[in-house]
Amino acid sequence: MIQLVAITDDQSAPAPPLRAVACDGLTAICAPVDEAPTDAESLWRHEELVESLMETRDLLPVRFGTLLPDDDAVAHAVRERVGQLAGQLERVRGAIEIAVRIRDRASSPLSGRGVTSGTDYMRLQAERVRSAQAIHDELSALARDSTILPGPELMRAAYLVDRCDVDELVACVRRLQGANADLDLICTGPWPPYSFAEAERS
Amino acid sequence: MSRIPDRETALVDLVDRLLGGGVVIAGDITLSVADVDLVYVSLRALITSVATAEEKRLLPQMGSSL
Repeated sequence: MIQLVAITDDQSAPAPPLRAVACDGLTAICAPVDEAPTDAESLWRHEELVESLMETRDLLPVRFGTLLPDDDAVAHAVRERVGQLAGQLERVRGAIEIAVRIRDRASSPLSGRGVTSGTDYMRLQAERVRSAQAIHDELSALARDSTILPGPELMRAAYLVDRCDVDELVACVRRLQGANADLDLICTGPWPPYSFAEAERS
Repeated sequence: MSRIPDRETALVDLVDRLLGGGVVIAGDITLSVADVDLVYVSLRALITSVATAEEKRLLPQMGSSL
C-alpha cells in the first residue's frame, strides 16, 4: 500500500522514503504505508514530509489518507485528470498558505461592557463581526487568494500568499493584532496550499 | 522560510488542512468516513485541550517564530 502525498511538476527525486511516480508530465510523490494512520503524530509526520517537499517545489498537497495499492494505480488516477491537476498547480505556483483564526480575547466578550439590552448585544456583536471582516479584507489585499473555513471562532481564514510576500503578511497580522486588543489573531504557517488545492471550493 | 510556531496551537489548523483540504484524486481511494471519524475521535481530546488552553490564554496568540 502506498500513500499519495503530493502532485508536482518538479522532476527532482524526493528523499527516501518518498518516491516519484511519473504521470504524463506531472509527478506523483508517494510514501509507503502499512495502514491508514489515524493519530496526531502520523498527521504531523505526513505534514513534515509535505513541507520538506514544499521547500524546493511548487506542489498540490493531496488529501490525507489517499491510499493506493501500487504505482500503476497512482499513475492511472493522476492521468485521468492530469489537465485539471496541471491547472490547479498553476494556481498555487510560487505561493504558500497562511492560516489566521480570529477569536475573542475574553471568554465572555460581551460581559462587563455595559450590555444591558438586546440592542446593546446586537450592536456589540455587529462590531466584532465588522472588526473580523476588516482584518480579513486587509489580509486578503496582500494575498493572491483567500478563503473562509468553517469553525467556532469569529473567523477562520486561509490566505494563499506569494512566497516573497509572506513576511509582509505576517507583519500585517502583528500590526492588526496590536490594533485589536480585544481579539486574538492566531496565525500559523507557512502551510502547503491545502485550502487552495481543489479547483472548486465552497 | 519561517516555520510553524507551536504544534499545539497549530493542531487545529493541521486537522483542517489534512482532513478537509488537499486535492482529492479519487473519492473511492481516500480515507472512508469511518476512518476520518477515527482520526477525529483520536484527536478530539487533544483539540479540546488546545481550545481550552487558548481560551485561558496559556498559549501565545501568534507564533513567536512566524
